[in-house]
Amino acid sequence: MLDRFKVPEEDKVYVPVEKITKVTENILKSSGVSEEGAKNSTSVLIGNDLRGVETHGVSNGLRLYVEKYASGDYNSNPDIKIVRESATTATIDGDNALGAEIGPIAMEMAIEKAEKYGMGCVVVSNTGHLAGCGYYPLQAVEKDMIGQAMTSGGAGLTVPTWGSEPILGTNPVAWAAPADEMPPFLFDIATTQIASNKIGLALRTGAKILPGWITDKDGEPILEEVDAPQRTGRHGESNYHLLPFGGTRENGSHKGFGLGMVVEIMTNELSGMGPAPVLHHEGSDMFAAYSIDAFTDVKKFKKDMDQLLSKIINSKPASGYDRVVYAGLMENEEYLKRSQEGIPYHKEVIEWFENYCNEIGIDCELR
Amino acid sequence: MLERFKVPDEDKIFVDSEKIFDLTKNILKNIGVSEQGANNTASVLIGNDLRGVESHGVSNGLRLYLDRYKDGTYNPSPNIKILRETPTTAKIDGDNAIGTEIGPVAMDMAIEKAQKYGMGSVSVINTGHLAGCGHYVLQAAEKDMIGHCYTGSPAGQTLPTGGSEPILGTNPVAWGAPANEMPSFLFDIATSQVAGNKIELTRRTGAKLLPSWIADKSGNPIIEEIETPSKGDYHLLPFGGTRENGSHKGYGLGMVAEIMSNILSGAGPGLFNDHQGSDYFAAYSIDAFTDVQKFKLDMDSLLTKIIDSKPAKGFERVVYAGFLENEEFEKRSTKGIPYHKEVVTWFENYCKKVGVDFNLR
Repeated sequence: MLDRFKVPEEDKVYVPVEKITKVTENILKSSGVSEEGAKNSTSVLIGNDLRGVETHGVSNGLRLYVEKYASGDYNSNPDIKIVRESATTATIDGDNALGAEIGPIAMEMAIEKAEKYGMGCVVVSNTGHLAGCGYYPLQAVEKDMIGQAMTSGGAGLTVPTWGSEPILGTNPVAWAAPADEMPPFLFDIATTQIASNKIGLALRTGAKILPGWITDKDGEPILEEVDAPQRTGRHGESNYHLLPFGGTRENGSHKGFGLGMVVEIMTNELSGMGPAPVLHHEGSDMFAAYSIDAFTDVKKFKKDMDQLLSKIINSKPASGYDRVVYAGLMENEEYLKRSQEGIPYHKEVIEWFENYCNEIGIDCELR
Repeated sequence: MLERFKVPDEDKIFVDSEKIFDLTKNILKNIGVSEQGANNTASVLIGNDLRGVESHGVSNGLRLYLDRYKDGTYNPSPNIKILRETPTTAKIDGDNAIGTEIGPVAMDMAIEKAQKYGMGSVSVINTGHLAGCGHYVLQAAEKDMIGHCYTGSPAGQTLPTGGSEPILGTNPVAWGAPANEMPSFLFDIATSQVAGNKIELTRRTGAKLLPSWIADKSGNPIIEEIETPSKGDYHLLPFGGTRENGSHKGYGLGMVAEIMSNILSGAGPGLFNDHQGSDYFAAYSIDAFTDVQKFKLDMDSLLTKIIDSKPAKGFERVVYAGFLENEEFEKRSTKGIPYHKEVVTWFENYCKKVGVDFNLR
């Protein structure tokens, strides 16, 4: 993450992992979520916070989820059904469960199929927020597999290349692959110039939005640095829209738009939910696992990964950079550091936790 | 493709697609490639030319391939072997066949596996140039499947974000998915700002390179418009260009392509192993997930929504990946393919030299 998105030093409150895990689980359970479901969602959210992906941790997410449980948008007690299944694939109806609850289960299914048949892929319809894609491919990595996840939550945010009407969502996608001694490769991105959640974060941290990251309401790219705007709607009812990554056609925004389309197709069309930009539903998810052993020797694969990843981090940086990294390296550094030192939350987030726990009458020991 | 890469009007010669297909096939057979092998390669190359992807058609490719057949880099009569296989996966030793000969075979294997088990994927080692990834994923789309392809192109061309030493190749990736009445979605890109072959095209068309497309030898992005530098005088940047503009996304996707092709196939990272890159082909049966007809109608509804949406100021229309390629395909199938006169002259001279009949004009 760029520095501009990080919590300013004077606003940080460090919280040990066990404490924030326990409180998050208890908050979810008090919304009616099962023990297992609360464990899954918490594990995803705190996993993201540990890796430094705080855009997709408890800070932005949890308050939204408890509201959606309260309003009935999310089902705290879902009856998850397999709608279609083959040797390597399954289509699941999530019964409006939170994505972070059902995601770990769906990826487990994909992994089991890949253990038996070489590959596995599970799509989930009727589900809520997945909290980013990064957590799930790492489940596959722990089993010596390559993992992949995509989600298409919330269409009507992003203009296509050459377009002025927002059509797709931020449509994130992630891949991960294991190495031997090096931290795993973990590539987890939004297919827009900037994730929506980062704009949420910028509103809290006061960070500015860079030129070419968003457009005005008519689809014109905003080419100066601006304050983060507060979204007023979707599907054209907004004061701003997102640009696909690349930004302009000259700079390759067709690549971001195209990859966003891949995500839309592999989730909404493949799950049978149909196009979110047309039907305005909340999206669906895709999880895949590829058994390395089905292709090549696992040990050799991991040694080859070490060789490539070491070469990258030992290569000479360009002027102005301290070092060269690969996707997943800094997340792993942050994970190790935060596991020891605690997770630095914005004080506003801690206050929210304390107030909310107080309101519903559960313990909240964070400080 | 941006206008700057297209053949200037005054240099165009329109050639009937069947004529160029037959001649390409005969040239390949003349150098020792089998009937089937020549057919596969000609289909891939002319398919690319028909879709307007002339950076990966006969113009740049064929003369290079012939040189490689002559010097023994490519094997015209390969003995293709399956090295490892599961119900859904296979790893193939290409015995130094050109990628375009073996690619269609490998994608067919992936499709067969997906027909039986829901998904199929095949990786190929010891193989030459694939001529982009687009052709292969369309094979799957024609069978009502989603197609996916990666190739780890020759390493040591593209810088990592913030790096000064080139590590990856241009590492292209493609996905294709069928629709009902709308042209198929076909997304086929290099993970660098500009494909290596497009830089070669600019040498012929005289187009300039835009700011942040390439870096100098020390890894600093060149942020003004320039003439194409000599080979070896520049490095490629991952797409996005600079970190602020998201080049870590291009770099990361390039890494995915490297892992899924070179490392998953066991060929090892391109930078440390003396190979030309390996390939990965995958097919996902739509029927294994959902109703095929519903999928295709949903695709129509999505794609129509995009085409009918209001363009931004300065643009005439909004398109999706594969749409313009399909328009070009239909146009060129009837009007012929506009080749640069230099390319047609090369064909004629080469054919005279090796004694192959030609009739392109």
